[in-house]
Amino acid sequence: MDKKVFLIQLNPGDKVKVIGFSTDHERFKSHGLGPWHKRKHGMGMGLARRLQEMGLIPGSVIEIIRNMPTGPVEISVMGTRLAIGRNIASRIYVEKI
Amino acid sequence: MNKKLYTIALADNANVGKSVIFNQFTGGNQIIGNWPGKTVEKAEGRIEQEGTRIHVVDLPGIYSLSTYSEEEIVSREFIAKEKPDAVINVVDASSLERNLFFTLQLIELESPLIVALNQYDIMENKGLCVDFEMLSSLLGVPVVPTIAVRNKGLKELFEKSKEVIKNTKKIKPILYGKEVEEKINILTSEIEKEIDTFYPPRFIAIKLLENDTSTKTIVKNPDIIALAEKLKKELTKIHGESPETVIISERYTIASRIAEQVTKKKGKTKINIGDNIDKIALNKITGYILLLGLILLIFYGVFKFGSYFSELLSTSFELLKPIFIQLPLPPLVNRLLWNGLMIGVIAGVAIVLPYIAPFYLILALLEDSGYLARIAFLTDNVMHKLGLHGKAFIPLIEGFGCTVPAVLGTRIMERDRDRFIAAILATLVPCSARTVILLGLVAAFLGPIYAIIIYALTFILMYILGRLLNRYIKGSPTGLVMEMPLYRKPVPKIILRQTWVRLKDFVYFAFPIIIAANIVMEVFTELNWVTPIANFFKPIMTNWLGLPPLAGLTFLFGILRKELTLIMLSTLYHTANFAEILTPRQIFIFGFVTMIYIPCIATIAVFKREFGWKRATVVAIGEFLGAIVLGGILNQVLRIFML
Repeated sequence: MDKKVFLIQLNPGDKVKVIGFSTDHERFKSHGLGPWHKRKHGMGMGLARRLQEMGLIPGSVIEIIRNMPTGPVEISVMGTRLAIGRNIASRIYVEKI
Repeated sequence: MNKKLYTIALADNANVGKSVIFNQFTGGNQIIGNWPGKTVEKAEGRIEQEGTRIHVVDLPGIYSLSTYSEEEIVSREFIAKEKPDAVINVVDASSLERNLFFTLQLIELESPLIVALNQYDIMENKGLCVDFEMLSSLLGVPVVPTIAVRNKGLKELFEKSKEVIKNTKKIKPILYGKEVEEKINILTSEIEKEIDTFYPPRFIAIKLLENDTSTKTIVKNPDIIALAEKLKKELTKIHGESPETVIISERYTIASRIAEQVTKKKGKTKINIGDNIDKIALNKITGYILLLGLILLIFYGVFKFGSYFSELLSTSFELLKPIFIQLPLPPLVNRLLWNGLMIGVIAGVAIVLPYIAPFYLILALLEDSGYLARIAFLTDNVMHKLGLHGKAFIPLIEGFGCTVPAVLGTRIMERDRDRFIAAILATLVPCSARTVILLGLVAAFLGPIYAIIIYALTFILMYILGRLLNRYIKGSPTGLVMEMPLYRKPVPKIILRQTWVRLKDFVYFAFPIIIAANIVMEVFTELNWVTPIANFFKPIMTNWLGLPPLAGLTFLFGILRKELTLIMLSTLYHTANFAEILTPRQIFIFGFVTMIYIPCIATIAVFKREFGWKRATVVAIGEFLGAIVLGGILNQVLRIFML
């Protein structure tokens, strides 16, 4: 079974491990994203670095606090709360633990 | 005796309470100034004590010293180049790990550091306590626990800062893992030999290994960059991750280890009330109902409060009129005194202040409680349609107070494109001056529903414009990455001070303009210039917009400050009962046109400073033409069913 999922596919209370960031467009195929996600832009280096500096380092454990149906995802990481926009959250790979 | 001048810089993660410390230190006498050659705002203040003058600089809140955003570059350059005598790193005790990540980088920058362990009370609520002496010895820098909002520990912090200024001992570096440290050392020794920068060689070495792009441009030397590339490849080989991931994750490991070592469990964890509030405030249904209700309540409250006090003050001032008229002075001087000076003062005090003061108070409450970030969270979705993200909503809300700080506030956007779109939209947000016109003219003489219609029209216009800008301005939008602050119980003293600082700006800046404009207008009247000028505008004003010709003159003054359009109208007609001089349709069109016709002079100036002449001119002319065209169309349509 493939345990690798994107951050937006999770429910509040889920605890997951960060795997990495996707810069390609594979997420379009399987996840039924709304039309405004269709803009083609990968996650730039700057953004991946910013997410890591905020504590989303591959291997770190995070908890989902809130997942708005069409809005941002709120997570708990390094003892603080972080809101992540839906198009970014749809590019963060995580693994259920 | 020569007074010595020292500089203390305050640096921290966003929303940790640094500005509170700043204001407590300097008594809130902040001058908003510019950095030489830089556009990022910093606040500066001065303290004088026992013959020493200390210059306090409040750096923008940032998360890292890499160069993701402009604010980070500027903060980093300030510390490296200006070499402040002490750097106070304000650390949020309740999220030590995240904050120490930044502290470690300040140590790498070899800045003379003091750590202020702030929000100590929140930590205690979580049932934790910090051994700050141990923290101090692990970091190698002094640590002072503080609760800034309650002014606790700040005196000690200040004393410690003075000690650090006197003490020039170098801070010991904090070491990474063996492999990383090896690479850092190789690179550092090369950098020491080859180049000369403001930055410490070890800092440059670490940033190069971390893949920080702007550091490459500082280094320039191709041999060193090549060496760095080689070392990065080796790092990737050993760890199987990109070099920046390796370094960031090792730095976090150090931060976590220190945080764990110094944190002790003490007592029970109290339940976080904020989580329960958020269950409602951020719920997909109740969250939006709450937000909408709150906005309506705010405007209703401001309108009720404003109109009540506005009328009360106007009638009280009218009582002064007989006294002024009977002053034993030449009639001309008398008229200038009353119609020019006093009407100006009255307009400022009676028409403007009652609406602005409560609004600023509410804005301070929203900022301080932490709800503003929740609004950004809730509106992220809508803002994406405009090519922006939720954080852009914060400057737009500030825009309800004044457009100038709103345009400056767009700096929280990470990219220039997003900033520009947000700033254009911010110029259209009805600022308090325009709110005065909407509430004091449209709502008061036509009924609140008409003011709401104009608000709605403006928001629809903003939405359409945002979508167009998003489509036609090059570049792709970024997404939201924002820390959600904990809710805080607003501290009355701080709320009042924030409100006062904003009001003071208004009084000092706007009052002279309002009064001067009134006197100029009175001189125009005395010289019989009013009618010729008004006639000049007649074709557009009367034939197209359906307004009285004198309105053209008031719009001219409105460029100075938007509320002047209304004030000038009352000066010209010598009455504040606008129903006597304007038909309902004219009131409506007047209100709509003033909302959008041109940003005021202060906004144009700040726009120019932030985005250059070209863009400022385009926005000013564009909005002017837009207002005339749309106002005219609206007038032609309304003619059918409105007087």
